[in-house]
Amino acid sequence: MLKKRIFFFTAILTVLAACSPNAPTIQNDTSVESEDELVARALEIHDRVLTFDSHADTPLRMIEPGFDMAERHDPNESGSKVDYPRMIEGGLDAIFFAAFVAQNIRDDEGNSRAKALGLQMIDAVIASTEANSDTVGLALTPDDAYALEKEGKRAIYLAIENGYPIGDDISNIELFYNKGVRYITLVHSTNNDLADSATDSKGPEHQGISPFGEQVVLEMNRLGIMVDVSHGSEEVFYDAIAVSKAPIIASHSNARAVTAHDRNMSDDMLKLMAENGGVVQLTMLSDYLRDAPENPERDAAVAALRAGMKPFGEMNQEERKAARAAFNELNEQFPVPAANVNDVVDHIDHIVKIAGIDHVGIGCDFDGGGGIDGIFDASEVMNITIELVRRGYSEQDIEKIWSGNLMRVFRDVQRIAAEIQSSNV
Amino acid sequence: MKPKYTGNATVLALLFLLTVQTALAHPLRLSLSEIEKATDQEKLSVSLRLFLMDIREALLFDPENDELAFCQPNEAENAESLLLSYLDQFFYIKVNDKKLDLNIASKRLHGEGINLALAVEFEFPLTEHISSLEIKNAVFTDLFFDQSNIVYVYLGEETESLMLNKDTPIHRLDL
Repeated sequence: MLKKRIFFFTAILTVLAACSPNAPTIQNDTSVESEDELVARALEIHDRVLTFDSHADTPLRMIEPGFDMAERHDPNESGSKVDYPRMIEGGLDAIFFAAFVAQNIRDDEGNSRAKALGLQMIDAVIASTEANSDTVGLALTPDDAYALEKEGKRAIYLAIENGYPIGDDISNIELFYNKGVRYITLVHSTNNDLADSATDSKGPEHQGISPFGEQVVLEMNRLGIMVDVSHGSEEVFYDAIAVSKAPIIASHSNARAVTAHDRNMSDDMLKLMAENGGVVQLTMLSDYLRDAPENPERDAAVAALRAGMKPFGEMNQEERKAARAAFNELNEQFPVPAANVNDVVDHIDHIVKIAGIDHVGIGCDFDGGGGIDGIFDASEVMNITIELVRRGYSEQDIEKIWSGNLMRVFRDVQRIAAEIQSSNV
Repeated sequence: MKPKYTGNATVLALLFLLTVQTALAHPLRLSLSEIEKATDQEKLSVSLRLFLMDIREALLFDPENDELAFCQPNEAENAESLLLSYLDQFFYIKVNDKKLDLNIASKRLHGEGINLALAVEFEFPLTEHISSLEIKNAVFTDLFFDQSNIVYVYLGEETESLMLNKDTPIHRLDL
């Protein structure tokens, strides 16, 4: 009887879900499925869909002397979150490697250095794909990922995080496009010549995107480079929507209604992203995924340890080492729980509720701070799929989340670029 | 290839390992250093940008403790010496195999809140030709196993970027 009721209830949910084009499809057979069966089904789905992570700062690792992407690294020893063996282990089919150049002086010399540093990182990615052509390939179009998957290879796409390397020379965008760059994050943690950051302590400088930044957006539209608003201020988001002739992306941002953080997106922004046809790619930074929990036991233990310590100015080197060891031991005793896969899917649920199933994806920000409990590195991304299946998302929905939505935007951006270029002839 | 499911035991183990490292941590385990010599200048300039929370944790074992008051009117008398004593263990520059003595030329604060960073500038008179540059940057690797220290090198028209960390704290450039 109970089973019948559950079936009736899930059938209603299915019908209701089918009535809304943006709602996720609820599976109707999960009530009789064991945990092992659910995991097995999730892993099969994970294997079938193209899994695409839209943001990793792994090029930073590629400039570490001696770092080899073909070797498997222990994330708990090295801190590294992505290499090719772990992409294979995690069933991660495609990834955007973002060349990040830290914001610095905004003059001719600074711009020229930023361009050189950006190119060095891009060249490091290209060299890595060439050196590992048996396992990965440099991808330039949406179709390339599917073609590479058929060959049993992982697709490596290029991006730039922070438009600083563009400097004040619009022609640099075409140079980067020709190198393979397919999205550019306009700004990073402080304002640049293109746009205002969400986190610059000096506040807004351009009140959104600058006039030069608008030219940059239009040139990106012309070439077929996706406009990424992650790290930008709210005004940058609204300006990008208004200026861009193609849908935009947030390559690694979360939902502010779930976790209040300046880097996350408000419901109004999520709705507008849906109207724009763009996509918000969920990121795996604990601070963007949940509020840090209270830890009174730890606080008391730290206070007790400090109270028993010599004044720091009077400590010699040995005493400082001993104090560091004591604090490290205390941290082991009283860990601060990181965010987990439930937090991630809570954000996905919210974005689906506000913007619809067609406007959410995954951008882990591995090697840039991303990595949480259960999704600590590229080898564990299948845990996202398992939780999505557990919550009733269908294979079709999961395909959209893992790649379909981002690929739709990518295709739109390339189609619009072709239209712009043909109209300019 | 079928992906691997890590299972609950592994998840718990990772939770433990991760959270041991995240306690008291700034969310981004990064520092940025720049080493610069312009062709027409007879000095090597070195700049280190470090999150202030990390400096406080390293020196005072408390990321919230502002007792040293860097760059404030009430900056503690021993603030610079404590910082230099720490940096001496984890950071150096060798030019032509000779280690440079760290003396702070200037310092200033950037940003606010958890993004507040201290920029520390060093300058070294240098008339000789640079044939090798060895850099050690392992700052905060004693606090965070996944600390990444980005190093930008500008020598004349040449630029180079490196990432140093716990596994690879030292790199030598032969020029």
